[in-house]
Amino acid sequence: MIGSHSLAISKLSGGYGDITVIRDVSLTVEPGKVVFVTGRNGVGKTTLIKLIAGQLAAQSGHIIFGERDMRAEPPHARRAIGIGYAPQESVVFDDLSVRENLTLQYRDRDLARYEALFVSFPRLKERRAQRAGTLSGGEKKILSFCRAVAEDTRLVMLDEPTEGVQPENIERMARHVATEAGKGRGFLVVEQNLGFAERLADHAHVLDHGVCVFDMPGGPGLRARLAEKLAL
Amino acid sequence: MELVALQALNFVYISLTLALVALGLAVVFGLLGVMNMAHGEFVMLGAYSVLVVQNAGLPLLAALPLALAVCAAFGWLLEFFVIRHLYRRPFDTLLATWGLAILMREIVEAVFGRDYKSVNQSLPGTVEVLGAVYPAYRVVLMALMVAFFAGLFLWYRRSNTGARIKAMVSNPALATAVGVNTAVLARGAFIFGVCMAGLAGVALAPLVRVEPYMGIDYLLSSFFILVVGGLGSLAGLLVGSTVIGGSDAIVSAITSKTGGYMTVLVISILFLWLRPNGIVSRD
Amino acid sequence: MASSRAINLLFLIGLLLVPFLWDGFVAYQLGLFLLYGMVGQGIGLCWGRAGFLPLGQALFFGVGAYIFGSVLKLEAGSLFLIAGLLAAILLPALIAFVVGFLVFIRQIGSGPYFSLITLALTMLGFQLANSMDWLTGGFNGMTGIPALPGTETYETLYYVIWAALVLVSGVLAYVGTAPFGQSLSATSQNEERLQYFGFNTALLKAIAFAISAAVAGLAGALFAPHQGIVTPQSVGFLLSAEIVVWTAVGGRASLLGPVLGAILIGFMASELRDSFQYWEVLIALVFVIVVIRFPGGLWSLAEDLAHRLPSFGAKGARERDIKIDKSRAKGPVRLAFEDVELVLGPVRILDKLSFRIETPGVHSIIGPNGAGKTSAFNVLTGRLKPTAGRIEYNRAQVGGLSRHRIARMGIARKLQIPSVFPDLSVDRNVDIALWAGDLTLAQMFTLRPFRWSTPLLNEMYDIFPFLEDGRRLAGSLSLGQRQMLDFAMTCLTQSPLLLLDEPCAGLSSSETGEMIDAIERIVGTTGSTAIIIEHDMQVVERLSNHVLVLNQGALLANGAMEEVRSDPAVQAVYGGGSK
Repeated sequence: MIGSHSLAISKLSGGYGDITVIRDVSLTVEPGKVVFVTGRNGVGKTTLIKLIAGQLAAQSGHIIFGERDMRAEPPHARRAIGIGYAPQESVVFDDLSVRENLTLQYRDRDLARYEALFVSFPRLKERRAQRAGTLSGGEKKILSFCRAVAEDTRLVMLDEPTEGVQPENIERMARHVATEAGKGRGFLVVEQNLGFAERLADHAHVLDHGVCVFDMPGGPGLRARLAEKLAL
Repeated sequence: MELVALQALNFVYISLTLALVALGLAVVFGLLGVMNMAHGEFVMLGAYSVLVVQNAGLPLLAALPLALAVCAAFGWLLEFFVIRHLYRRPFDTLLATWGLAILMREIVEAVFGRDYKSVNQSLPGTVEVLGAVYPAYRVVLMALMVAFFAGLFLWYRRSNTGARIKAMVSNPALATAVGVNTAVLARGAFIFGVCMAGLAGVALAPLVRVEPYMGIDYLLSSFFILVVGGLGSLAGLLVGSTVIGGSDAIVSAITSKTGGYMTVLVISILFLWLRPNGIVSRD
Repeated sequence: MASSRAINLLFLIGLLLVPFLWDGFVAYQLGLFLLYGMVGQGIGLCWGRAGFLPLGQALFFGVGAYIFGSVLKLEAGSLFLIAGLLAAILLPALIAFVVGFLVFIRQIGSGPYFSLITLALTMLGFQLANSMDWLTGGFNGMTGIPALPGTETYETLYYVIWAALVLVSGVLAYVGTAPFGQSLSATSQNEERLQYFGFNTALLKAIAFAISAAVAGLAGALFAPHQGIVTPQSVGFLLSAEIVVWTAVGGRASLLGPVLGAILIGFMASELRDSFQYWEVLIALVFVIVVIRFPGGLWSLAEDLAHRLPSFGAKGARERDIKIDKSRAKGPVRLAFEDVELVLGPVRILDKLSFRIETPGVHSIIGPNGAGKTSAFNVLTGRLKPTAGRIEYNRAQVGGLSRHRIARMGIARKLQIPSVFPDLSVDRNVDIALWAGDLTLAQMFTLRPFRWSTPLLNEMYDIFPFLEDGRRLAGSLSLGQRQMLDFAMTCLTQSPLLLLDEPCAGLSSSETGEMIDAIERIVGTTGSTAIIIEHDMQVVERLSNHVLVLNQGALLANGAMEEVRSDPAVQAVYGGGSK
């Protein structure tokens, strides 16, 4: 399932309608690498992810995945080609059960593919018959995370996956991301939790006013370096 | 006792047929948000299919595939050339489908003439139900409709397609993100909706006057059913049909057809005003 | 503009000459189409200008016809006749007003609902006309209606109809030009924004609908003596649908387009209906194409051919020579949120949010995404209804009131995405802001409010020089300029409390600097209290010393910038903390 698909964004600009939020952003995600994007609120992190996922139309630039430019592809096709996405807001189908949320994209509707994830997040399995709208914010995030990680996409994009999630579950999320990256899947993660970033990042970008202002390799001390750039 | 049974049968019959007529609009307007002003015209197409089949001397059951084919073809054309550009623009879809409704009426009028046609019942005769003597065609129709609604309910609830439709309605952006092709799904739902209208037309043809302008009444009653019952659920559809059909039947019986009509209109405006989400609201 | 008016006048004069150029019978036929055209003009007001489509206009036409027909049949005195005419105009207007108001007040964007209700009403009217034999003559109609006293039906009645057309056109042209018409245009472009300026848009739309019904009633009244018979078809659905078609084909956004459509299609139909079987199909096809591809209809095609300007918004510049005083009673604003909760479905968006703002100046709200910042504005301005808790503004409870009422209490709001009225000129946009909260219903029908000016407006011209090019359409401005126009409009209301939701969103850094200067200067001049939602700490720091930090729908911290910054709880939710 995993080929040598890397994501390469160059000079990407876009936003809502004629409003430009992201300006000339370039970054790459190699297979097996975990790349973080951070920055304060309102600088365009979510917009960037939505442009890559196809939820918003880019105004200029390229989104190369494998060898193809994704800009012409509708969002569902990008998913089929291998770009998975867990959004920041409205992360689950509130009207559907947890089980339906996890299986509606599969013909076999089999929960077996979630086996390993259910070991880490047993609550999800317990609540599989429940309406997803009744879950707490953090539980919804976990549901969305599991859905995206279990898909067979070569790239996974997570938009603020730890928002509202309890620390011990954040640690479990990190373990799953590390395992999957070890299998060669690429990860692009928008995150404000710098501890999470330090734990996982191979590379980190800082956005401000829709522009990439810093980027730095991961490793120990990343958190301090990022915190310095982001100081309130 | 006989009278009560007869009234009860009439009541159930009216509610069920209204629900069948409104089902198509419930899908197209309730789920897709497209106010299809040509909904009634698809009912009309269904009814004329029966007429065509009868004139050709074919068995009346042949009207079913004919109506579905005609409605599906029209629905596909309409969706492909007009509607798909206008999702989430309710006023523009209203205008475009209103124009299309006029066009469909005029075409049918030019081909078949303006006058009333009548269609023979394929099942003449009566049967006795709970002591009441009732037309056989209606009894069979009611049984079929109950089975159909039950099947549809289970399918929508259990099937993967049902889940995907609900997903598309509740969160279209996320649906595309998990790989659902919402454009194709919406087209399918639209065509299903107009085919259901055609199906209702086939079922009703032997019982009503078939004419080019028959659709408007069905559009309005379908709309009122959705206003009263609420959008987006089969339960709302059945509740709305019962309220609209029931109040119309009761008031019409006491006063006149006009009185019944006025009651329905007043109830609908009241609902729009006091309970815009209907009796069974989605959230 | 002058050229457009000239075309209108030429068209009307041409109609007056028809009896001389052709013969009386052509004029008689034409008279009927003019009556239908007038109904279409009323539809044009609703559809072309205010953006909602009545589908049952024949109801009002028929009611007018039945009323005036029965009055004519009584052959009583002229006073009685005039009373009958008034009834034929006012009763439809009243019905329309009540129905329109009931439907419009409940929701914005009630478009499809409104259209279907009017459709149902005309179906009801048809049934009533059929069944009330004693009043309407039932299925066979009301027959034997005498000629209008003093006229010959086949000769001079045409001039009466022509005069009515001129009257209706004059009234509609005036109403469209007046603040009322401009506000209606604004309603169709962005109804919610207009409500934040304190306009009761449901009332405006209901009045527009009532005017259109009055016009239809007048046309119907003249229809009765013209035809000598009124049948249920005159209130029916078919006529309603046909008039909508004529209006669309002729041009719904122009004054006389609907009349042109009625005349052209009317005459062609009488020529072709019998010889060409598919005539009606052809007309329906033309309608579909016009609706989708040429919303301006034939009239605007003709105008385009003559290289004319579009007929909206481009009114000549007027002197702003009437100084009005918009400075409200100053004094500190007192705003209090007490345990405000907002629950939408399963989501708790505001969770016992409590804070007070009692000092003038700029206050900032910051917080992570989903903290409830914009939702706090939404419950304060009537966009959302709080689930529980109290919101007090100057000791009055505002939670749950409608948008325009809250706006009129002195709270102005700028939305995050710049929301100007794109198809109106910059001047008209500015006018709407100046009118906000001060324009009475009567003044809506006078031209004086276009001359209004305030000292603050001159200061705005000073700060944003691009505003002086007032004839430009607001939609043609750049994003930054639209953001600034929107901000200027919000401030021009001179509301004591200004709510600014990310006023610098989407601006470049130099534009951001200009905007900060402008905010500082305006708030200083007017002495207003402003609350700003902002992510950019530099902006916050420059503008305000009072910061409210929201998190998960509740207040996390509240105080001066330095205090807030050193608060560990704030650091925890903001970048840099360990979470």
